[in-house]
Amino acid sequence: MLRSWLARRLLLGVAQTAAVVLLVFVLTEALPGDAAVALAGDQPDPARIAAIRTEMGLDRPAAERLADWVLGLLHGDLGTSLASGRPVAAYLADGFGPTLLLAAITVTLLVPAGVGLGVLAARREGSLADRLVSSTTLAVYAVPEFALGVLLITLFALRLGWLPPTAVGSGGDLLAQPAVLVLPVLVLLSRPVCSISRLVRAGMIDALRSPYARQAARYGLSAARVRYAHALPNALAPAAQQLARTVDWLLCGVIVVEALFVIPGLGTVLMNAVAERDVPVVQGLAVVFGLVAVVLNLGADLVARRLAPRAGVAA
Amino acid sequence: MSAAADVVAEVEDLRVEVGGRAVVDGVSLRVRAGTVTALVGASGSGKTTTGLALLGAYPPGARVSGTVTVTDHLVGHVPQHPAAVLNPARRAGALLADIARTQVRHLPRRERVRAAETRINEALSRAQLTGSSELLRRYPHQLSGGQQQRVVLAQALLLGARVVVADEPTTGQDALTKRRIVAELVSVVRQGIGVLLLSHDLDVVRELADEVVILKDGRVVESGPVEQMTTGARHAWTRQLFGAGEGGGSVPGERADADSDTTPEVRDDADDGPGTEPAPEVKGDIDTEAAPEVKGDIGTEAAPDVEGNTVLEVRHLTARHRGGGTRRTVDVLRDASLRVRPGERVAIVGRSGSGKTTLGRCLAGLHRTYDGEVHLDGVPLPRSLRDRTPRQLAAVQYVFQDAQSSFDEHRTLLAQVARTAVRLRGATPADAAREAEALLAEVGLRDQHFHNRPGRLSGGELQRAALARALLAHPRVLVCDEITSGLDTVTRRTILAVLDRLLRDQPDLALVWITHDLDTAARADRILVLDAGDVVEQGPTVHVLTAPGHPFTAALVEASEERREAIREPRTASRA
Repeated sequence: MLRSWLARRLLLGVAQTAAVVLLVFVLTEALPGDAAVALAGDQPDPARIAAIRTEMGLDRPAAERLADWVLGLLHGDLGTSLASGRPVAAYLADGFGPTLLLAAITVTLLVPAGVGLGVLAARREGSLADRLVSSTTLAVYAVPEFALGVLLITLFALRLGWLPPTAVGSGGDLLAQPAVLVLPVLVLLSRPVCSISRLVRAGMIDALRSPYARQAARYGLSAARVRYAHALPNALAPAAQQLARTVDWLLCGVIVVEALFVIPGLGTVLMNAVAERDVPVVQGLAVVFGLVAVVLNLGADLVARRLAPRAGVAA
Repeated sequence: MSAAADVVAEVEDLRVEVGGRAVVDGVSLRVRAGTVTALVGASGSGKTTTGLALLGAYPPGARVSGTVTVTDHLVGHVPQHPAAVLNPARRAGALLADIARTQVRHLPRRERVRAAETRINEALSRAQLTGSSELLRRYPHQLSGGQQQRVVLAQALLLGARVVVADEPTTGQDALTKRRIVAELVSVVRQGIGVLLLSHDLDVVRELADEVVILKDGRVVESGPVEQMTTGARHAWTRQLFGAGEGGGSVPGERADADSDTTPEVRDDADDGPGTEPAPEVKGDIDTEAAPEVKGDIGTEAAPDVEGNTVLEVRHLTARHRGGGTRRTVDVLRDASLRVRPGERVAIVGRSGSGKTTLGRCLAGLHRTYDGEVHLDGVPLPRSLRDRTPRQLAAVQYVFQDAQSSFDEHRTLLAQVARTAVRLRGATPADAAREAEALLAEVGLRDQHFHNRPGRLSGGELQRAALARALLAHPRVLVCDEITSGLDTVTRRTILAVLDRLLRDQPDLALVWITHDLDTAARADRILVLDAGDVVEQGPTVHVLTAPGHPFTAALVEASEERREAIREPRTASRA
């Protein structure tokens, strides 16, 4: 049962990724201008643009180019950049490092902070701690990342001078200067901590009220044991789904934060590629993002099945 | 059982007020070590509130006065639905392991694991749970109701509770299971534990209780030794409860509760005294009507042995559940074969955990991990609902035991019932609504209910609506899974009557009737008996019930008959 479910999910995931790639291709085709226009520079000479186009093979029909690219993909070849001629894989490898680092740090802090705040608030519904956590998380959640980022830069980098405002000058090696990571991680953490802690809080309140948690408490288990070993597993299923969505966003979609703090991650690569109409790079990113999303959601569903085993019973 | 035995729990002048209304008013009772005190009353009489008071649990916002004293403060609780106190996200043994852990702390670290294991195993065997280490690794939903109950009992025993509160432990159980539960409680009592039994099942009360406390509307009507209640009750209400013996079954007020058709006024009438006593007549009726002999004749003549005329056929079906680990599976049904002819009524009988529901779920496409085949009109049915065509879905309809949770609480009854015809038969919404209205009226629902949400209807009414919903698909086979268990006698009779009428109107509709109750199974043409996943017997009803060919069937028939005997001649407890 589990295996057939996994197989179905994986097939679906592959289909979804293919659909995303196709959609991205169609959309970039629909954009005005192409890589030749972008390369021709400020004084576009139609003859020069046409020459570049022929040289790059952009004058071939779109379907043919897509087919070529898909064939290459099946051999593990993501193609080469139109703008620089470097392999797309090299772009991805360069951008993936900083993005992965940011995501890893954020998730490492996010899980204990989110779950911890949620459990703290749920210990006693309506207590001072609960009201503080609930109102703060709601307020922070309402602030968009770019606004919070600008606010933090203004305060901590420009006014107080405690932290560098951006990662400019770190040369891609972010770990050499950990101080540049503090503000971006704070911005990345802000909203996910709120959503996860609120989900955990709601789940914990339900679970602590349940007959099985009461029975455990009545039978002499310590409050901490009841809270963490008996109530928490039931509260985590929705949070696990939300966490997968957050990790997905961290790996694929933090363009705003990367741009704000000038971090050379995947988001920056994507922005540049779109600006240069560098279709192969954009498509390569789409494949990576699609696969990440599929794998993460599959993982989250597996975790949720473990946390709520009853849900898997119905055929 | 000396009266001087230790009092392990005592309630004195307990008053619990919720929202200005006294749910429990001046209740006093005692539980002595090694005895059973039964708290008897209709639902809403304050039994459960009193029982929970021993556990120190009160309804939210309750004002409590009076005293509750419990020796060692260790009280076990076996609720009516044991699944509720088993954590759905943890394996069944999780709480047992945690309780044991707190008990072995004083030991050196190396010995703890083994000591805890020994304690758990001892508690499990005291709770008569066998094959247990594998069971504890399953999730609660993978255990049968009986197993869940015994795991919860084992928790109390492991805890070392001196008092166990057992809330309606036998309600909705088959005869054999009832006997098993009674035996379990007897063995608990033998271990010197005091039991507070909350029940409206008077057979069980007679059999088990030493002391009886009768509650009505939160007040103690009468209390004393069980002999005094059965022979020389002073209060009219008690005499009515235990009246003459032939009443037997359940508390009169109880049946009025489950069906809102019977309004509270009717209940009050019944309360007035023996003059308006409805109980014996009603109960007597049921017994004769459902006796196997009566229905048996019909069974033989209605079972044509025509080959090839089969609507649904099950071939060598072996169904599995996922076991403890991801890869291990447990067979819950082995090599079952079954043939259902048009218009035939087949009863699938067995105790809880015997695999009868799984068989039904396989037919309906709700359980898909099985080997073997299910054929509809000679064509194999896809295992999963998802892969079945609307025609196939319509052909096999399933009615669930818990009607309440089979309805969406946010949409009106009519909309949900009518939707079947739209989805499965492609009827237009207007036609579907007309048809649904007619059918709902036919099953006896008043049209004021049609536009209500399901929450406003009683369990019996919802079950009738669920029948209408299934029939609107124009099914070839109707699978009814314990649809009358858990309902009171009057409601059950109404549903059976409705079903009889519907089946008469549709002579080609076949019925698969899943039940633990031989009385209702006797209405079928053929019976298939399941025991622990094996088909132990299959044949015409009259044969199975009068000349059972398998020891298990014989035991089932005997248990059911004994229960009926027991009702006829009241007896006093003959126990330790």
